[in-house]
Amino acid sequence: MNIVFLLQSFINGLSIGSVYAIFALGYTLVFSILGIINFAHGAVFTLGAYCTYALAVGDFGLNGLLAGMSLPFRLPFPLALLGGSLLAGGIGVLVERLAFRPLRAKGADPLLALVSSLGVALILVNCLQFLVGAEIYAFPSGIFGSLPMAMVFKMDGKVLAVRTVQIIILVVSLAMLLALAWFMNRTRMGKALQATAENPETASLLGIHVDRYILSTFFISGALGGLSGTLIGASFGLAGPYFGVSYGLKGLAVIVLGGLGSIPGAVLGGLVIGLGEAFLPPDYSSMKEAVAFVMLFVILLARPQGLLGRQTIQKV
Amino acid sequence: MRSFIILLAGLFLANTALAEPVGSPIPVGIAVGQTTNVALFGEEQVNGAKVAEKLLNEKGGVGGTPIRLAFQDTGGDEAGAINAFQNLISRDKVVAIIGPTLSQQAFAANPIANQAKVPVVGPSNTAKGIAQIGEYVSRISAPMTLVAPNALKRALKLNPNVKNVAVVYAQDDAFNVSETGIFQEAIKGMGLNITTIQKTSVKDTDFTTQVTAILGAGVDMVVMSCLAADGGNMVKQLRQLGYEGLIVGGNGFNSPNMYPVCGQECTGVIVAQAYSPKADNAENKAFSAAFKDMFKKDPAQFSAQAYTSVKVVVDALNEVEKSSGKKIAEMDTAELRTALNAAIVSSSYDTPLGEIVLDADGEITQKTFYVSQIKVADDGKTGTMELLPE
Repeated sequence: MNIVFLLQSFINGLSIGSVYAIFALGYTLVFSILGIINFAHGAVFTLGAYCTYALAVGDFGLNGLLAGMSLPFRLPFPLALLGGSLLAGGIGVLVERLAFRPLRAKGADPLLALVSSLGVALILVNCLQFLVGAEIYAFPSGIFGSLPMAMVFKMDGKVLAVRTVQIIILVVSLAMLLALAWFMNRTRMGKALQATAENPETASLLGIHVDRYILSTFFISGALGGLSGTLIGASFGLAGPYFGVSYGLKGLAVIVLGGLGSIPGAVLGGLVIGLGEAFLPPDYSSMKEAVAFVMLFVILLARPQGLLGRQTIQKV
Repeated sequence: MRSFIILLAGLFLANTALAEPVGSPIPVGIAVGQTTNVALFGEEQVNGAKVAEKLLNEKGGVGGTPIRLAFQDTGGDEAGAINAFQNLISRDKVVAIIGPTLSQQAFAANPIANQAKVPVVGPSNTAKGIAQIGEYVSRISAPMTLVAPNALKRALKLNPNVKNVAVVYAQDDAFNVSETGIFQEAIKGMGLNITTIQKTSVKDTDFTTQVTAILGAGVDMVVMSCLAADGGNMVKQLRQLGYEGLIVGGNGFNSPNMYPVCGQECTGVIVAQAYSPKADNAENKAFSAAFKDMFKKDPAQFSAQAYTSVKVVVDALNEVEKSSGKKIAEMDTAELRTALNAAIVSSSYDTPLGEIVLDADGEITQKTFYVSQIKVADDGKTGTMELLPE
């Protein structure tokens, strides 16, 4: 272990961990309000990335129903990122309308909503494959304009390499996390969302339109999912319609690790898992998927409520 | 209850005892992964099979009787493959099955076809022991024992000063593990030093750690056994972080999916191939042209192997019709399946892969392998694999 390896791993972990954090925030927001996991979040993550790709690159590849078609315009990457995130937010709203609201209206068991969100996720992903095929899409190298591809430093005769896309991921993620923190704590809408999360019935009595705020939560959650999908896609490519599945599972590990329903916990959990994966020696990189769950298991043994979760106090 | 069971058993026996003619068009089953993360390969296989159906039917099918492909999605797991096989055998009454996509699915599903005496042709199963699963199992996907050393020889022609080599392989993929073994033996056999061995996972996307290790080792050539998505990503990151030496990729790189993943950074990568769209044989020229006409791109290896599998079945059906003097459509399905299997094995075929021979076990011997160099077009999404001269 030398200082360059540690520094390299830290940068890599911070970059990927911040994406996990944004992704997991989407899960956490929905959980904190409805008390259930939205299993369609991984599908929204994927669709957001594809929407950004379509807006930035303007074509739909060579497979699927949209094969050979193209949009009449191309957007610069920052605008496409914004557009893709907003479209993903719209898909989040659609998920709420299809999978959650009908069951909530009938007073169904929350477990049913969990299953129906899983069903919606499968439908969305299969529709995506039907439209654009299973081929790999990748953002073109020049997507970030004239920025250099990477920065390479020499330290102690060793190479420290940082890809530009890693810096972009880190900056966008941190900006988004700060913006969300400000929104939740400093705006009327954010406070109303927190009130709804605390107690929907009381919030309703205080004049807060609960259904509307639930819808807003799904929109924000979807937009965050789409944003994280795009950041991953910009860095590594869109590896087919199913590429959100493993991130969906990892997001679950992140929010449980950080503490269910805790926004700072989701951020911390994402960073912990990202760094944990990054510090894994290259020889064991195929164990990356297991790292999140091993960490989860170990930390839950010590703190069942997660890193920043609150213990449930039962009044008797 | 007892009489009900007897009735059911009677119906079952009656069903199996009744002769069922094959009918027209002749049903051939295609069981590949069209969903889950195998879909990328399955989609290419479906495209190749569709071209085979069109081309071979235009040529008269089997003695004038057309074939009809019955598609079943296997997904990416064993249960999906078993389910698809059962549907094709009992519901679609296919004469043969082409599939599944993955070797581990073949180990689970092929015994079912073998038990039902339905011939199976594996289009992309490269693991050891596939053809030995049973009498009714063959494959047209060859292990890569010859092509790896060839690719290294061609790379050394491009740069004779290569001394130090980095080896990279996806340690969670059986094919790539066996391929890297072949590569490493060939590297040592050429008197080159393996300076660093970096292991990855097919699920990996961030290779900064491995790339840093390779850059620090000061190598002249990187030899990779990975798939298109992970391998393409690693090539991109190697180039972006300043590596300028030779890159040789194994058979996993032999896919048009490489182009969009690493764009211009892919240009110059040397690829060891079991199939090349540029292969100079009549079968491949016809197949490539028809594929390009239908899908507006060059065929991938998975497409060529699916086409080859269908062609093997159709050629064998023609052989059965000729030797038995009976029309296939009028033959009893069970009887035909047995005759067809006997015709598939111990035969040679002209295919887009070149000439292939199936032995009595159904194991393939492929005569020709290829070595190409990637050239990505200006759009960064499409490209070609240009054959390197001997």
